Amino acid sequence: MENKPQNIPAILGNFGLEIYEQILKEESPSIKIPQRGKSNVYFDDDEKVIQLGDKFSKRHFLNVAHTKKFMQTVLVASYCRRLVEENKHAGIRELYYALKHTVEGSKENTFDDQIESNPIIEDLETALDILREELNLTADRRGYIYGDIVLKDGEDEFNASKLGRGGWAVPGTVEEIEFLNVNAEYVLVIETAAMCDRLIEEKFANKNNALLVACQGQAPRGIRRLINRLHEEKKLPVYVFTDGDPYGWYIYSTIKQGSMNLAYLSRRLGVPDAKFIGMTMDDIDEYGLQKVTEKLKDMDKKRINEIMEYEWFKHKEWQEQMKKCLKLGVRIEQQALANKSLEFVAKEYLPQKIENEVFLP
Amino acid sequence: MSETKVKHADEIFKSFKMQSVSEFFKKNAAMLGYTGKLRSLTTLVHEGVTNSLDACEEARLFPDISVYISEIGPEHYRVIMEDNASGIPLDYIPHVFGKMLAGSKAHRNIQSRGQQGIGVSGAVMYSQVTTGKPTEVVTSTGDKIINKVNIKIDVEKNAGEIISRETLKNPDKWRGTRINLEAKNLQYNRSKYGPYSYLKMTAIANPHTRILFVEPDGTKILFDRNVRVIPKNPKEMKPHPHGTSADDILSMIKNSSATRVRTFLVSEFTRVSTKKVEEIEQISGLDLDINPKKVDWEYAEKLVNAIKQITFMAPPTEGLIPIGADSVKLGLEGILAPEFVHTVTRSPQTYHGGIAFIVEAGIAYGGGAGNNGLDIIRYANRTPLIFDQGGCCITEAAKSIDWKRYGVKDDNAPLTIFVNLVSTHIPYTSAGKQAIATEEEIYNEIRFALMEAGRSLSRYLSGKRRAHEKLTKKKTLLRYVVETSNALGSLIKAEDNSKIIKALTDIVEKKYDFEETNGSEEKANQILEENGAEEVSENGE
Repeated sequence: MENKPQNIPAILGNFGLEIYEQILKEESPSIKIPQRGKSNVYFDDDEKVIQLGDKFSKRHFLNVAHTKKFMQTVLVASYCRRLVEENKHAGIRELYYALKHTVEGSKENTFDDQIESNPIIEDLETALDILREELNLTADRRGYIYGDIVLKDGEDEFNASKLGRGGWAVPGTVEEIEFLNVNAEYVLVIETAAMCDRLIEEKFANKNNALLVACQGQAPRGIRRLINRLHEEKKLPVYVFTDGDPYGWYIYSTIKQGSMNLAYLSRRLGVPDAKFIGMTMDDIDEYGLQKVTEKLKDMDKKRINEIMEYEWFKHKEWQEQMKKCLKLGVRIEQQALANKSLEFVAKEYLPQKIENEVFLP
Repeated sequence: MSETKVKHADEIFKSFKMQSVSEFFKKNAAMLGYTGKLRSLTTLVHEGVTNSLDACEEARLFPDISVYISEIGPEHYRVIMEDNASGIPLDYIPHVFGKMLAGSKAHRNIQSRGQQGIGVSGAVMYSQVTTGKPTEVVTSTGDKIINKVNIKIDVEKNAGEIISRETLKNPDKWRGTRINLEAKNLQYNRSKYGPYSYLKMTAIANPHTRILFVEPDGTKILFDRNVRVIPKNPKEMKPHPHGTSADDILSMIKNSSATRVRTFLVSEFTRVSTKKVEEIEQISGLDLDINPKKVDWEYAEKLVNAIKQITFMAPPTEGLIPIGADSVKLGLEGILAPEFVHTVTRSPQTYHGGIAFIVEAGIAYGGGAGNNGLDIIRYANRTPLIFDQGGCCITEAAKSIDWKRYGVKDDNAPLTIFVNLVSTHIPYTSAGKQAIATEEEIYNEIRFALMEAGRSLSRYLSGKRRAHEKLTKKKTLLRYVVETSNALGSLIKAEDNSKIIKALTDIVEKKYDFEETNGSEEKANQILEENGAEEVSENGE
């Protein structure tokens, strides 16, 4: 889990050599890849994160249903080895374009769409137990951090509270970022940028010694890894603040125990100790927000019923929240707090909750 | 009124007679096949070709038949047909070409092609009725002379009349007969009702025959000989008691020399033993020792009723001459050049309790088979049935089969279905003799034959599909070999990618060579590939 530097070119090279040896032995070349997706994930009760099961798929070159993917896997592996050796970084879309060409002697493309190359990258990560970041691949950046923390990114050193109201945009890869000086008591992760901007304007970070992280919807890998590292390396508690609806709650659960899709990364991305600060259904009564709720749509209800079944939401308190949500038939957004006053969230709602530890598990 | 001259009876009768024969022809044109411009032309060709085939068969010769059709005016055609049969002696020419309703096989219990009873004289008549011209017949038995005659039908005498005659020298010992006639109200095209289709079908069912055909536009088509065996001549068979009517019995008695009914029954019928006669006697209560000449209608009817209640051995079938599955196969292959052929000759069966028949069927797929989809070609005693397809037992039986079950995936599949019904008595639906009545036993036999052929087709098609899939898979795999090898080469920093390319190519080639000799491996891989998903295994470690 620590940043134990791995010899990535050697790992990739050995992966290729195994295939090469199969070919020399005239065996049917195959690649063993752990299965991803719902059928092969489980909730690890001890570690409190979503984990990958032990089911494997075998990708055979001689099976026409697999041949193309087999070729794509080798192409991506080969490309990544070059990236790492040349010390270059490429976006996953760049990788797609770099490798896209017509297969020699046919009219077919190596890749027809980025949705073909993305899962291949994840295949390699799981099969070789290395991170995309270690393959020098980056995803589009989304989300930012604001607060009194001095970061070192390559040659640059800066304090994330001195970069203006926009904070520091967190890149897709944060493995090499160094935390030089942290002057904060906790990390507050906020679903919407609008709410984060509100808190910055209210000088919430300074007044409460908090690091604000806006994830802007489902938290991207860079943000998740950053939160994970702040928690693991700097022992900062993590509080999550989202809309009071099934989507917001799922954002929280992903930050806390990882996602099904990236279950193989849960240990590096998840923060099992994270706490949920709001919005909750109880806030509606507590703060008199009945007038500013939104009606649930059928889709929302369906989603609630779905996540109620997830093992990690089986906690009594969460089940009660969801039942209450279905019963009231409403959802509540973070920004509904503005109904009280613009400062309300920064001056009363959040400090009170943190002070009194009014959290959901 | 008194001034009017009274006509003599002879005069009236003469014109009546004259009228009656041509009237007969006109009234029965449909029955005789002379209806519609295209069909009339086909019938002209049919009569000539059938005559030639029969003549060659009887003389044990391989038929070489030529048919030339040329357009000489609007709806006006010349038809020339030539064969290499034994030729016709001069004295017999009027009989063969002039006598209507004089078929030699009409009243015999024998398998015959035509059964029309009018034959080539109908062609002469049609020509005469539409153009007033005689038919030219050139024939030689292969001796020193060739007879060239112009013949007309004397409607009064119902006999052929030689209008003019010429004798030519025959230095090359030519043998055969050539008919040259012209007729109007005709039309030529290549539809399935025309002479082209008729000759093609004839060639399939008579693979020992060579037919040269010249179309009006000069196109020459050769339907070549594909079999070096002349079919056996059909034998006349005694009738089986089942399927005999009171009328049949009375007319048989006329030609019998038996002195007692008892011996008449044993000698004139097949499968009637003295023991069976005793049974007939018991059941009917008739005196079977009377002279057959004394048998009246009532007696005959009682006899028939008794016969119906008795079980007889099935009729002998040596009189039935099927084409033979091998010959049908060669015929279909030779004419249609299909990818696949399967033919079946079923064992003899009876319908109506006593009429023997044999069903022969064949399926040809691909190549020249089919006619923009399913093409059913029907034969009765190897004579093509061209018209009335819809109402025919063969069509019904062929269409009752779900061809999809036999791997024929779409309606446009190139499929020819061949069915020949062989019998001494073909149950036609009408006097036109172009459709077979749906007798249950015949219908079932046709279905069985087609299903048997269908199973073979199904095996062929699935094999073909598998081979095709295999080839496609191999191609797919080979397509990725170079790309994968190059990527692998750069991943492991190999010095020479061509070594990987070769090794991987070998693996692919080997897999498919191996599969060809190992069914279970193929099956296993097939199942794997059908599932599409990547193979899943639990990791027990």
